[in-house]
Amino acid sequence: MSNSRTYWNSLEQYNNDPEFVKNAQREFAEDLPVDEFLSKEEASQSSTTRRDFLKFVGFSVAAATVAACETPVTKSIPYVVKPEEIVPGVANYYASTFFDGVDFANVLVKTREGRPIHIEGNKLSPINKGGLHARVNSSVLSLYDSGRLQGPTLKGESASWEKVDSAVASKLDSVRANGGTVRFLTSSYISPSGKKAIGKLKDSLGENADFKSVTYDAYSYAGMRYANEESFGKAMIPQYHFDKAKVIVSFGADFLTNWLSPIEFAKQYSERRNPSKDWMSRHYQFESNFSVTGTNADVRGAVKSSQLGLSVIALYNELAKKAGAATVSMKKFDDDNNVSDKIKTAANELWSNKGNSLVVSGSNDKDTQVVINAINDLLGSYGKTIDPKTEVYLKQSDDKAFVELVNELKSGSVDVLFINGTNPVYSAPASLGFDKALSKAGMAVSFADRLEETASSCTVNATPHHYLESWNDFNPKKGLYSISQPTIRPLFNTRQMEDSMLLWAGEKDTYYDFIRKNWEKDLLSKQSKYSYFDSFWNSAVHDGLIEVESSAGSDSEENSSMTFNADVAKSASAVSNASKSSNWDVELYMETSMGVGNHANNPWLQELPHPVSKVTWDNYIAMNPEDMMDENGNEIYPIKIAEKYPAKTAKVTVNGKTVELPVIALPGQRKGTVSIALGYGRTKAGKVILQGDQKAGGQKTIGANVFPFVEVVNGTMQYVASGASIEPTGTEYPIGSTQIHDTMMGRKIVNETSLKTYNKHGKSVWNPDIEIANAYGKKTPVQKLDMWNDHDLKIGHHWGMTIDLNACIGCGACVIGCNSENNVPVVGKDEVRRTRTMSWLRIDRYFSSNMTKPKAKEEGVGKIDMYAEMEVPSEYPEAVYQPVMCQHCNHAPCETVCPVAATTHSNEGLNQMTYNRCIGTRYCANNCPYKVRRFNWFNYKADYKFTGVNPSQDDLGKMVLNPDVTVRARGVMEKCSFCVQRIQDGKLNAKKEGRPVKDGEVTTACATACPTNAIQFGDLNDDNSQVNEISNSDRSYNLLQEIGTKPNVFYMTKVRNVDEERVSEAVKSHGGSSHGHEGEGSQGHGEKEHNGHEA
Amino acid sequence: MSRFYSKIGNVKVMMHACVLSLFIALSLQVEAQDGKKLFRGNCASCHKLEGKLVGPALSGVQDRWDSKENLIAWIQNSQQYLSDNPGDDYAHGLYEEYNKSVMPAMPLDEAQVNAILDYIANPSAGEEKEAGGGEKQMVAAQDSGEDYTLYWMLGFLVVLLIVIKVLLDVKRSVKHLLYDVKGDDGFEKDGEVKDFNWSTKDRLQHWAGRNKVVVALMGVVVLVVVLNVVWQGLLGIGVYEGYAPEQPIKFSHKIHAGDNEISCVYCHHAAEKGKHSNIPSAMLCMNCHEGIQEGSRWGTEEISKIYEAVGYNTETAEYDKPKKPIKWVRIHNLPDLAYFNHSQHVVAGEIECQECHGPVETYDYPMKQYAPLTMGWCINCHRETEVKMNGNDYYDDLHAELVEKYKEEGIDKFTVEQIGGLECAKCHY
Repeated sequence: MSNSRTYWNSLEQYNNDPEFVKNAQREFAEDLPVDEFLSKEEASQSSTTRRDFLKFVGFSVAAATVAACETPVTKSIPYVVKPEEIVPGVANYYASTFFDGVDFANVLVKTREGRPIHIEGNKLSPINKGGLHARVNSSVLSLYDSGRLQGPTLKGESASWEKVDSAVASKLDSVRANGGTVRFLTSSYISPSGKKAIGKLKDSLGENADFKSVTYDAYSYAGMRYANEESFGKAMIPQYHFDKAKVIVSFGADFLTNWLSPIEFAKQYSERRNPSKDWMSRHYQFESNFSVTGTNADVRGAVKSSQLGLSVIALYNELAKKAGAATVSMKKFDDDNNVSDKIKTAANELWSNKGNSLVVSGSNDKDTQVVINAINDLLGSYGKTIDPKTEVYLKQSDDKAFVELVNELKSGSVDVLFINGTNPVYSAPASLGFDKALSKAGMAVSFADRLEETASSCTVNATPHHYLESWNDFNPKKGLYSISQPTIRPLFNTRQMEDSMLLWAGEKDTYYDFIRKNWEKDLLSKQSKYSYFDSFWNSAVHDGLIEVESSAGSDSEENSSMTFNADVAKSASAVSNASKSSNWDVELYMETSMGVGNHANNPWLQELPHPVSKVTWDNYIAMNPEDMMDENGNEIYPIKIAEKYPAKTAKVTVNGKTVELPVIALPGQRKGTVSIALGYGRTKAGKVILQGDQKAGGQKTIGANVFPFVEVVNGTMQYVASGASIEPTGTEYPIGSTQIHDTMMGRKIVNETSLKTYNKHGKSVWNPDIEIANAYGKKTPVQKLDMWNDHDLKIGHHWGMTIDLNACIGCGACVIGCNSENNVPVVGKDEVRRTRTMSWLRIDRYFSSNMTKPKAKEEGVGKIDMYAEMEVPSEYPEAVYQPVMCQHCNHAPCETVCPVAATTHSNEGLNQMTYNRCIGTRYCANNCPYKVRRFNWFNYKADYKFTGVNPSQDDLGKMVLNPDVTVRARGVMEKCSFCVQRIQDGKLNAKKEGRPVKDGEVTTACATACPTNAIQFGDLNDDNSQVNEISNSDRSYNLLQEIGTKPNVFYMTKVRNVDEERVSEAVKSHGGSSHGHEGEGSQGHGEKEHNGHEA
Repeated sequence: MSRFYSKIGNVKVMMHACVLSLFIALSLQVEAQDGKKLFRGNCASCHKLEGKLVGPALSGVQDRWDSKENLIAWIQNSQQYLSDNPGDDYAHGLYEEYNKSVMPAMPLDEAQVNAILDYIANPSAGEEKEAGGGEKQMVAAQDSGEDYTLYWMLGFLVVLLIVIKVLLDVKRSVKHLLYDVKGDDGFEKDGEVKDFNWSTKDRLQHWAGRNKVVVALMGVVVLVVVLNVVWQGLLGIGVYEGYAPEQPIKFSHKIHAGDNEISCVYCHHAAEKGKHSNIPSAMLCMNCHEGIQEGSRWGTEEISKIYEAVGYNTETAEYDKPKKPIKWVRIHNLPDLAYFNHSQHVVAGEIECQECHGPVETYDYPMKQYAPLTMGWCINCHRETEVKMNGNDYYDDLHAELVEKYKEEGIDKFTVEQIGGLECAKCHY
């Protein structure tokens, strides 16, 4: 009766339009193209009728079912002679040493059934103290790189060792008989026994031969060595102590992830970054690119790279004034972002902490380093924060010698050239023309693991072992000797470089015996703990290292010579004159993941997001967003880059060499300077980097090589260039970035405060508990609000993690550690671009913004404008890092939405993920506020799209998989498990030994890899555990506390050592404003939700 | 029946005969047996009759020595003999040949040495009889062990069917007779159906037409039975309970773990240390089988496969041949998605191997899978098994906390389930 109304879809229907009436009868607006597919000739010719087809289908299904029922016969083949130390299923750890000419670390290699699967730091090491760098723990994957050569090559063709040896021997014999020039070109080489082995070859060549070793590093520290030679009379690099410096000033030295000995420095640095200790260091960073070290600095000044030298002189002059020394003249420099003031404050603080301060520079210019030495001399750093007595041998590059060698090669006077551990065809400055020079060598013998750029132009490649397959010794610094030992039998028909040397020198000893004899002769007497060589050697192999006392006599000798006597004025004027003003400077830097490109074929490293930009797989032109716009404020290059928003490329031309790369917006990058990472654009590294632009079809090498931009100036390689031109091309280029939002939008995500506020005020100012008001305005701390019953976690263990945001430097060693431990697949650039990266652990990086809530209120900026501006980082922002993995919420939103109970809570506080139950609804990922769940969109271990990148797709790469962790299949969700396999293992060991679990015994892969101990793991129910203490400290808070998930991961408030008051974002947004106005943002959102639940 | 009993009687008689004959044989060969025992106890660890071991082969040893006295003296104390007889070139040569490895002095009196030498001279005398006796015993044992219940049931069924058939035939014949007597009309009047000429099919149809409910019920029963069989079959996919594949070596757990009482973890030593319980390496077999070169069941056939694997040359007693791993067929195979740790159960849980693997010490060749190894089976055990908390310091706090938690129930013993042993991530990660 009431249904008298009629509804019309359209006017045509209302009017009974004839066309409408006609069409209304038809289900499909257009005819189905039945004729099209039925009229195909093949269809009519086919003898298969529909019935036949169904029969086939039925038969196939039945056959498949029957076939699946058959019992598969699995063979189980035990050892014939079981090695004594191997118990199937139990991991063995061997101490070893990683050194590739760039990074040094004492490591522990975890092996299962004789194959290395994971690398951890060696806690006994005085250098890395258990910490690691991403480039170190990813090296286990390079062992199983199918791109490695499987044997030696002769003229680019694989050959037998006999042929290779006879080819080399005949050449060497002719040198022995007729004399000749032999050169051994190597990257920094610190093996004492290896040097002797090379010496044996030299001796065997006799008097006639002119034999010389030349050290060449792709990223050179020759400037420092020359400067020290000029300042102190000895070309060396001293030991730095960042842990003893109350004030640290760094000019472009990325000492936390790249410069000199980064793991060691990160460890030292983090020791003094804890605000609860008696003092916390203050760190000034002056640089042109936004380095990892720069993001961690308390005060950062952005300086054009051509003027960095000038800023060093400015600091010198400030200090000289205070010291009463003569100042030096300098050009005026562009005083953007108050750099002059920052230098003045730095100078004041350095001076007031004389003897407890440290100034370093990343420059490879001798004169700049001389001025730095003069500054440290003025500050009395030598003997305090710089220990010149402990010489560091890690960087020995001699650029002048290298240039000389190239000239020798060009003149055709080199008969035999050995090339070890370096790839100069790829990395040498283009102006030197190394590739052409190389072709003039009588015979070039390289020791490369693949036919890379250099090795492919050499006559012979005597393919060496991987370091995990070889014996070697190292002398990284005075008094410290370390050993690398094989952890697997050589996979291929390879031979260690040192063995080849001994063989070609006509020695009978294997290199292993040679090392032992050498140690017995040289080192046994230098220590007093062991009197028998075997016990001495066994202890060294067991520990991976030994420290020996240095003889007292030489010490006093060195002491006397360590007085600064260089001409500062001369060096300063050279620095000043060299600085030219230009529109565009180009800074070439080492990226944390790729370094100098040694590990270009390592997919773990390629997919590791760059700490600051969060870009994976590519190198790019990092440019300040302001520089990316023309004078009218229009974008020349897109600033926002995401899946659907590709970057645009530009052509950079330096000294006539041009490279085309995408332009990426990087706030903090000095305007007028672009930065480009070295180590990319390898052409002969292997298949992994053949990713290129998959959209464009075909594969091309990712990234571009910018080593040709390097110039030799005043005898050293210069990684900065001025007078560059940058031309936009308009070409689009997809970029795989893991983070596309840059700011925290005024939320308490990374809770941050200043040391001043931290010391002066209580927790409520800088780390307040978040309170939620109900409909009547009654506020309750969020911890006391519950929607669900608590899990009973008081009994037994309750695993928890603490992450100190003050210690975290963002380096990414934890990410690689996690990938390696948990068989996390590599997905390739294209999938990263689609935000399908699989890492269980990500490091979020946030930039500060000029706009804040109090500021908006003060200036009367409306809400919409305020949030729009909050989205934009400052021109030169501060940056913070936050590692985020599954927070193992005790009230986990994911657990409640899973329809099949595939994710559940354990009585030990773990949020468990059961892959075999998961049906892939992805409800959990949608409901996770931390976005830490990862879905297996593909069968990464078999899908052809990932063949190039995913190591688990070839038989060799599979060996790196951890057998204790399931390799997940397509269609299931996965996420951080708190390394449950390690927890179970730790508990089991305790049970078997009948004792409680010790604190620190059970730990996760990320915590183990961390070079700064930022991540701690343990039992929250253990009253004496470290995590218990830290999680109950004042700095502790939970991420997104306001939504009441009660995570088991606790973050420690970041405290920046600056002289201003900083209150927590939570206080900022709540303080002053009444409750009713809080409608926006996630905080307000959370509040609303909770009010709803409460009501 | 009587045939059956008489068979059992035969077996008994045979067994008695065997034991008797064995006894007689033993008593006849007492001296040789004594020698054999002595040989095994004193000599076999270094010598074999044929082929070198640590020392030379002993077959024909009396012929090689010029006098038996010297040989006995040498056996009793070889070093003494060497120093007493510096002129005995043969003895000194022997000493040199074996790299001056000293044959230890033997605490044997002359009679015992003689017994050994007699055994060496004539080793086979006692053995044949023994082996023969053993074989018969085994056959007898196998005979008496069979189960006849099923055959009885089947037989009974057949008899029953025959009886039914006969009765039905009789009924039909009687009906036919009746028809002959009564004729068509009389038959119809009595309401009888003239079905004695029908085919079996027609008769069945007629019966089914009259008993629709019974047929329907039977249909349901048949359907349920069929579905149940299919369902059980599907559940059994991937469950290999009782799986006993042929192995490359006919290894008998009964002989090793049963008869010789070798501890399980002597060979499967990794079960106490790690996740896997290992199949022993072939070299581990050689700990015993360097000496024991002939098995009681298969002679040298199976043991020689070990020698082939480890490259052992029985002639020279050296491992000088190429090694070839033994490719066993894996029996127990958990899916990769389940993490199982042997040491957890064997050491921490103090579970006997037999709980999951069955009475392995009674299993002859081939070895078989005892448990279904399904998740339900695991879970059941976790529900029922009490955790051995007593005396393990790891559980001290946990136990106190659990007693507190369950104080209403008043229990102080807890199952694996109660400490979280049913949680997913205890086994799946």
